[in-house]
Amino acid sequence: MSKILEVKDLHFHYGEIHALKGISLDVEDGEIVTLIGANGAGKTTTLRSLSGLLGRITSGEVRFMGQRIDQMKGHSIAAMGLAQCLEGRHVFGNLTVRENLDMGAYLRKDKDGLKADYEYVFDLFPRLLERESQRASTLSGGEQQMLAVGRALMQKPKILMMDEPSLGLAPLVIQEIFSTIKRINADGMPVLLIEQNSNAALKVANRGYVIENGEIVLKDTAANLLINEDVKKAYLGG
Amino acid sequence: MLTLIVGALMQGSVYGLVGMGYGLIYKASGLMTLAQGDMIMIGAFLGMTFYKYMGLPFGLSLALVMIIMFTLGFLIERILVTSLLAKGAAQVYVILCTIAISMILQNGAMFAWGSNVMQFQAILDLSISIIANNDQADRLQEQAVGIFFMLLLHFFMQHTKFGTSMRAAAQDETAAEALGINVPLTKGTAWGLASMLAGVAGVILGPSYGVYTAMGALIGQKAFAASVAGGYGNMYGAIVGGIFLGFVEAFSVYFVSSLYKDFIAFGILILVMIFMPNGLFNEQVME
Repeated sequence: MSKILEVKDLHFHYGEIHALKGISLDVEDGEIVTLIGANGAGKTTTLRSLSGLLGRITSGEVRFMGQRIDQMKGHSIAAMGLAQCLEGRHVFGNLTVRENLDMGAYLRKDKDGLKADYEYVFDLFPRLLERESQRASTLSGGEQQMLAVGRALMQKPKILMMDEPSLGLAPLVIQEIFSTIKRINADGMPVLLIEQNSNAALKVANRGYVIENGEIVLKDTAANLLINEDVKKAYLGG
Repeated sequence: MLTLIVGALMQGSVYGLVGMGYGLIYKASGLMTLAQGDMIMIGAFLGMTFYKYMGLPFGLSLALVMIIMFTLGFLIERILVTSLLAKGAAQVYVILCTIAISMILQNGAMFAWGSNVMQFQAILDLSISIIANNDQADRLQEQAVGIFFMLLLHFFMQHTKFGTSMRAAAQDETAAEALGINVPLTKGTAWGLASMLAGVAGVILGPSYGVYTAMGALIGQKAFAASVAGGYGNMYGAIVGGIFLGFVEAFSVYFVSSLYKDFIAFGILILVMIFMPNGLFNEQVME
């Protein structure tokens, strides 16, 4: 297995606030890795500083497919094949479902591959096909999350990072989203999953990291984390 | 009556063209520019120079004006606006900066072309035989140019990948960036297109309006009013608002007096604002 994403001693400051204090983690080919932790622990900051959306990191090293990306701009990192579904879905509400997907494929030139990927996305989420020409703002929360995932897949990424995909969704929809994550991964996509819903996340993941106050305090296989007493107490509701 | 309607449409489509520029900029960057009127003036001077003094064909003159105006707007955004915002300047300083640009453009134009009102001949050589009156024919042609550019912009924004990415980035910069869209490029392009549209309006207006350094001030304000009346940030609202304003003005001149046309037009605009505070088209813009 080769390392898709490798983070070493990542520090990040929001102005004066030392938000990330030396995060190290990696994602190997074919894995689902989850990063769990409380609200404000630094999960979203980690993800966004990896993808270059927060500007310069303070120090540390981020390698994607072996290449340093920590000095690159967000859109260039995306162009290399690192895709992410942002927390809160961030679909373009004034654009149609189809246009949203088109924007996922913004940088792609391979016409044949594109057609296959539209088919793949519509096969994953048939409801997006039904609503292809509707404005994204008219979709339900669950449908918007599907669109966000579909849009990221249209980038034909080498890794998919997901920030709280279950946030604010009904339990049934959450199940659907997690089984989709499993299926995408089974089709060969490495996933870095950030979740407050630690239980569900650890159930689909291979490995997990626990983040507290900007530091990784624990890392193990997902199966071990699920039975770890500290994790149970803090994140799995006893 | 026909003259009246043609005149109203022409004036209105000019307001609409320029107003679309305000909408583009507001949507793409949440800002406004007070130099848009002077872009009309620069466009008119450049068009006159290329067409009348250098003897270039009209199409080429227009194309050159468009390229120069686009570059000017693009550079203003990329160099001035971005560096101000990067230093944490409040939006009001950026707007103040556009006032400075407006003054510089006016004085620069006076330096380059002098302070007289200059004229150049109507532009297209095609003759439309169905209308006897030459003046009307010219105006129709000018109006056709305006409408052509509106349709072109509509096509660009709605049906090309880059235009769609501009709309996407205007709505959600973070998401756009995460998808690999070059957001600074889409913003610069919005400013470039806005100034290009004003430049086209200048070339269209020049022959009937006269070309002078302060020509942009009032038209710029009226186009701004048109775009607000139509729903600020909505490009199509700007067109409707512009044509609405064109008609109000033309009919005020016809039925009342040209002395009171601005009084009446802006009075009606205030009424629109009071009763439809979101404009004729309610537009959700970026937050």
